[in-house]
Amino acid sequence: MAARTHDQWTAKPPLQQGEWIDSRCYSDQEIFEEENEKIFKNTWIPVCHESELSKPYDFRTTSIAREPIIICRGPDNQVRAFLNVCPHRGMMIERRPSGSFLEGQPSGNPKRMTCMFHGWQFDMKGGCVYVSREKEGYQDRLCKDDVGLRRLRCEVKFGGFVWVNLNDKAADLESWAGKPFECLRKTLDAEPLEVFHYHKAIVDTNYKLWHDTNAEFYHDFMHYHNRVTGFNDAYFARKNEAFDNGHVVVGTFEVNYDKYEGFESRAALSFPHLPPNQWYMIDLFPGINFNLRGSALRCDVVTPLGPNKTMIEFRGLGLKSDSKEDRMTRINHHNSIWGPFGRNLHEDLIGVQGQGNTMQPGAEPRRVLHGRQENQTIHDENGMRHYYDEWGRWLNRLPSSPDKPYSAPAAVTTAAE
Amino acid sequence: MATCETVRDTIYTATRLLDDQKWNDWLSLCDESFQYSITSWSPEINYDMTYLAASKKDLHHLVDLLPKHNTDHSPLHRHTTVYSVTPSDDGKTATAVSSVIIFQNMLDGTNSHIDAGESRLFLIGRYFDTLNVENGKPVFLKRELKLDNRRLDKGSHWPL
Repeated sequence: MAARTHDQWTAKPPLQQGEWIDSRCYSDQEIFEEENEKIFKNTWIPVCHESELSKPYDFRTTSIAREPIIICRGPDNQVRAFLNVCPHRGMMIERRPSGSFLEGQPSGNPKRMTCMFHGWQFDMKGGCVYVSREKEGYQDRLCKDDVGLRRLRCEVKFGGFVWVNLNDKAADLESWAGKPFECLRKTLDAEPLEVFHYHKAIVDTNYKLWHDTNAEFYHDFMHYHNRVTGFNDAYFARKNEAFDNGHVVVGTFEVNYDKYEGFESRAALSFPHLPPNQWYMIDLFPGINFNLRGSALRCDVVTPLGPNKTMIEFRGLGLKSDSKEDRMTRINHHNSIWGPFGRNLHEDLIGVQGQGNTMQPGAEPRRVLHGRQENQTIHDENGMRHYYDEWGRWLNRLPSSPDKPYSAPAAVTTAAE
Repeated sequence: MATCETVRDTIYTATRLLDDQKWNDWLSLCDESFQYSITSWSPEINYDMTYLAASKKDLHHLVDLLPKHNTDHSPLHRHTTVYSVTPSDDGKTATAVSSVIIFQNMLDGTNSHIDAGESRLFLIGRYFDTLNVENGKPVFLKRELKLDNRRLDKGSHWPL
């Protein structure tokens, strides 16, 4: 068929409902606000790794859906999360990305979280322990017990990641993500892990487009590295397996890393309980990716900043017990593909930014195809179909026509198929 | 003083060759034992990170395979200022510290129609170089580009 007229271009594709979505899902400001409110404020997000706050009184700050969060390790070694908001007048309590409360601050004492504005202080359990001129200002009308921090649900799980959920009533983390983690649970929990890599990208694209890229492997045609190291019968037999809650696991196969000039096999540093050079991927709704390639684990976490702006935080992890030499080898393995100057990540980011450019707010709505059917193997797009079915349920919107309420599509791959 | 002058000239020549994407000419300024790295300290994870580590052989592979990869076409422009050159006591080597600011002159950008022709700050950091100066013509033994950035957006396929 030749190039199409506008009517042909915007017509429904000859596919079933569920095999395409409307690009407004990626560009609409109202949908973006709804996603923050209905999805991100109600799902478990791995905000950091426990090795980032390895000692008592260490802290990390982050945010979910514009809500500032502080995570700290108490003297009892427990990791807890709180809103990083002073209950007095709403000042952000800790402004740095990380540090230790063992040190005193200009406005406060050691071992306390101190709001610099008026000197209110909190312990590592979030209890208020000091209100400056408390009696003089509040007499007996308000006391420290009334002004503790807002605690957040927090679990350290699945390889030591620190998960936070803003909703006190959401299902527990095991119910939410336990099943997709089964394929790597023994590996990730065999011994403590440690983060060795962190960088972030802020790109002009929708967060779901990044998650789509992590959930579909048809785009391996973009990656010379993956074509030469991967394209074989075992690669094309890899299965995408759908799980409840919109999660997807991409099954493993053996990668031939040494087929790329200058690269080496990763067999010697495979993670515990895994055969050599394996490649597992766990894609969690709404935008979290765990990617284990033989010797290094990568975790991507998205923070949507707007319908067409997304921050992606990239972490690389190895075993805490690594020797210096092994750690350096793992770092090189990680970076050669996934580092900011590696072979694949740059290509992935160019790809999603190109999509973001064609789907800016106000751009003509168009069909984005998710219709490849290949028996749920690696180039099947069942992972994306499964995701958008879940997304439609959470927002009560039909992904192929987001002005309409959700209805179950015919062509979606459901969990445990 | 002559050594300091030739070391500075060599660092500036390397900057020009990198800007011009004359990768092999840049590598010809490097000893066979050359070690290259891009590093950054992350307060987020409290870790001295290595973003890229490569030998001269690795770098040859990397640049030879560039045509096989999809890369942002926007050229990079490095502004290098050599802060200090310190010859070793035996006069065989010298170390140098330079400030480097890397701009990206947009060709692709997000939308080339809008962005092409604009220059954006891409990265800042310092080069920590070690050079062999024995023969009067300095050659790089080691280069560490220590970045201040951890926000790297699309990143790059190119040596910096």
